[in-house]
Amino acid sequence: MEEEDEEVRALLGDRPEGDSAVQGAPRALPALCDPSRLAHRLVVLLLMCLLGFGSYFCYDSPAALQTQVKRDMQVNTTKFMLLYAWYSWPNVVLCFLGGFLIDRVFGIRWGTVIFSCFVCIGQVIFALGGVFKAFWLMELGRFVFGIGGESLAVAQNTYAVSWFKGKELNLVFGLQLSMARIGSTVNMNLMGWLYTRIEASLGLPGHMTLGVTLMIGSVTCILSLICALVLAYLDRRAEKILHKEQGKTGDVIKLTDIKDFSLPLWLVFLICVCYYVAVFPFIGLGKVFFIKKFGFSPQSASAINSIVYVISAPMSPVFGLMVDKTGKNVIWVLCAVAATLISHMMLAFTFWNPWIAMCLLGLSYSLLACALWPMVAFVVPEHQLGTAYGFMQSIQNLGLAVISILAGMILDSWGYFLLEVFFIACLSLSLLAVVCLYLVNRARGGNLNYSAKQREELKLSHTE
Amino acid sequence: MCRCWGPSWGWVPCTPTPWLLLSLVCAAPFGLLGEETRQVSMEVISGWPNAPNLLHIRAVGTNSTLHYVWSTLGPPAVVLVATNTTQSVLSVNWSLLLSPHPHGGLMVLPKDSVQFSSALVFTRLLEFDSTKVSEGASQPSGKPYPPYSLAEFSWNNITNSLDLATLSAIFQGHPVDESTGAFANGSLAFKVQAFSGSGRPAQPPRLLHTADACQLEVSLDGASPRGNHSLFGLEIATVGTGLDCPSVKELHSIDDEYAPVFQVSRLLWGSPPSGFMQWRPVAFAQKQQNRESALPCQASSLHATLAYSLPSSPIVQAFFGSQNFCAFNLTFGAPTGPGYWDQHYLSWSMLLGMGFPPVEALSPLVLGIIAVALGTPGLILLGGGLFLLLRYKQHSEYQSVN
Repeated sequence: MEEEDEEVRALLGDRPEGDSAVQGAPRALPALCDPSRLAHRLVVLLLMCLLGFGSYFCYDSPAALQTQVKRDMQVNTTKFMLLYAWYSWPNVVLCFLGGFLIDRVFGIRWGTVIFSCFVCIGQVIFALGGVFKAFWLMELGRFVFGIGGESLAVAQNTYAVSWFKGKELNLVFGLQLSMARIGSTVNMNLMGWLYTRIEASLGLPGHMTLGVTLMIGSVTCILSLICALVLAYLDRRAEKILHKEQGKTGDVIKLTDIKDFSLPLWLVFLICVCYYVAVFPFIGLGKVFFIKKFGFSPQSASAINSIVYVISAPMSPVFGLMVDKTGKNVIWVLCAVAATLISHMMLAFTFWNPWIAMCLLGLSYSLLACALWPMVAFVVPEHQLGTAYGFMQSIQNLGLAVISILAGMILDSWGYFLLEVFFIACLSLSLLAVVCLYLVNRARGGNLNYSAKQREELKLSHTE
Repeated sequence: MCRCWGPSWGWVPCTPTPWLLLSLVCAAPFGLLGEETRQVSMEVISGWPNAPNLLHIRAVGTNSTLHYVWSTLGPPAVVLVATNTTQSVLSVNWSLLLSPHPHGGLMVLPKDSVQFSSALVFTRLLEFDSTKVSEGASQPSGKPYPPYSLAEFSWNNITNSLDLATLSAIFQGHPVDESTGAFANGSLAFKVQAFSGSGRPAQPPRLLHTADACQLEVSLDGASPRGNHSLFGLEIATVGTGLDCPSVKELHSIDDEYAPVFQVSRLLWGSPPSGFMQWRPVAFAQKQQNRESALPCQASSLHATLAYSLPSSPIVQAFFGSQNFCAFNLTFGAPTGPGYWDQHYLSWSMLLGMGFPPVEALSPLVLGIIAVALGTPGLILLGGGLFLLLRYKQHSEYQSVN
């Protein structure tokens, strides 16, 4: 592993020109075009960030246009939430397969292009469903979009590792995540406005307006596809010039590993599923809730609905650093779940300004992501890490698909209050799992809740 | 007496606060009101050739009687009377009631047993062109069309629609002058339902009722609107007490389990209230009355109106004599979203009663989920903490022995 690192560093390092690795270069290149220079890598970084922008922009377009979709397509909330469920279904399987497809079948470059195509085509089909007023076509569009969406994120990460390993990798991951959040935020605040403008200027029937709006949204996906093509070209060029290998996810998925998963890992899965189902479906349905319960205008409802993403963009790196420095992951997860529970209780039982609750939700959501996901690495051996993460994402998607439909059904029959109570129940289950995890870890003398100092000591004692 | 509900979770502090309301409710000056069950009888009063519809609902409790008199003589109207005896009766003098000066034609006897009386008159059906809405205009619903005066409607004979099993009756009407043909296939219906106990109907908006209240459902079905985007409304008048008009209050409710809105509107007569009109500000544009067809419902504030500017109701005049009126408008729907134009159907329900309006509490389902959901992690944390503490203690004791 160490050797490999060195190799990559040697290949990619910004050493003085002609020092070693750039023998393939026919002549001295300007900094922007030289794959061994920082300036060039920054261009690549920009492309990588834009690569994910399209899919994150379009993921939440149903939430941004909830009222319009329901009105123009004449569907109830249960059917509306199917748009989210159809996105999640393919990913229940693809979380295992994505890495395999990239490494063994397509390669990173073709993989990225193909997944971008799926995202693009999916969004266009989704928009066409609006144009032809065919809801099944919209569902199909979301399914195709889902096939591309999550795998594209895997490809994006692989690119990041291949270009930035041993350098600014964490920063790059952070920037990519921020870009994703910006995509969601822009979408939430832009789509409703765009719809109104198109309605006013073209005067088309409702479903056509919806279709045209979504079609304009798909422009971002085409932009991402272009980024994928350019990245593929640059990556190939760098390979030629630097004799760099094609990036690999390195995920080894062995489904038989699942039987070896320990109790704490299962508890982590439970926390993950129960937590995320109370966040994403809520955001999917949130806009109308803020309009109806708190009397917000559609614009401010979009703004408050996207605040979770706005907060998580800058706070994720901060919390990441904080959790790294302090350790005590279980306690942080406990705090995050409890804070989310409190924020949902505020939304359900009070008329307090929902900005308080939503900001709290945004903070706790960022904290949870930073504290929960690294915990998997502490409870499984390294060779099972790929399987564990794949499984975690897979059941998260399964949970999201099922709960999205369930949330729509609850809303249709009993309203928002009961839906909030349901989310509170999910979060309580998550909290219960955290408490159990703490107790199990404590009883078994596990390392999950060590402070950073204890981890350091443990590491030293291992190396000695 | 079950009127002293706790400071229920269902209603968020408003004016007055729940505690204040609670104390008011407990110190209810109307000992006669607020019975759990009542013996309800429903009777169509006849006794005159071609008598107009006159429906008398009499709800007898242990020491009080409530009278509701609904009629479509003139515009649809109801007179509410509460008495502190079980023996009070309604007396109708038809020749006086049908004369130009009907005062005294309707009485509840004995007169000194009357504790509270009021009336509602449904004067006009309003229609607006919602395509002509301008920002900040005086007419937020749009340009009004000439209203339909409900005094100039002809109504069916309610004897046919009287259902004593469900204690309900339906007044169904259409304009006498059918020259426009708008109501050729349509009608406006007022469905009145009385209750002998408390409960909640199966159909949204599922207003909680007690034995002291009755429910009115107004539905407009099949009438042709005069524009593509017509909004409908209802003008309602009540008798004024002195110079002031009661006000419509909109309270917040955290619970939208039964009706798809987070508000409840009420109009209270007297302070502390001795009569109320309560509704969820929601109407429905489909007969299924599901959440998808829910329309917002706006109420204007009440303003004092001179009696002659409203279609006059003989039964109200017969009971109260000449009176001042306070009127307000309800408008159903918004320029965008579902509306009457979808299926040419509109329905809205309200509760009308005496004493205090019923206050909702969280449903047992919600309370159950909350108790289990929040109780379990708490208990585990407590139990687990104790277990670890004990183990730790034992451990240290062993060590000290060693």
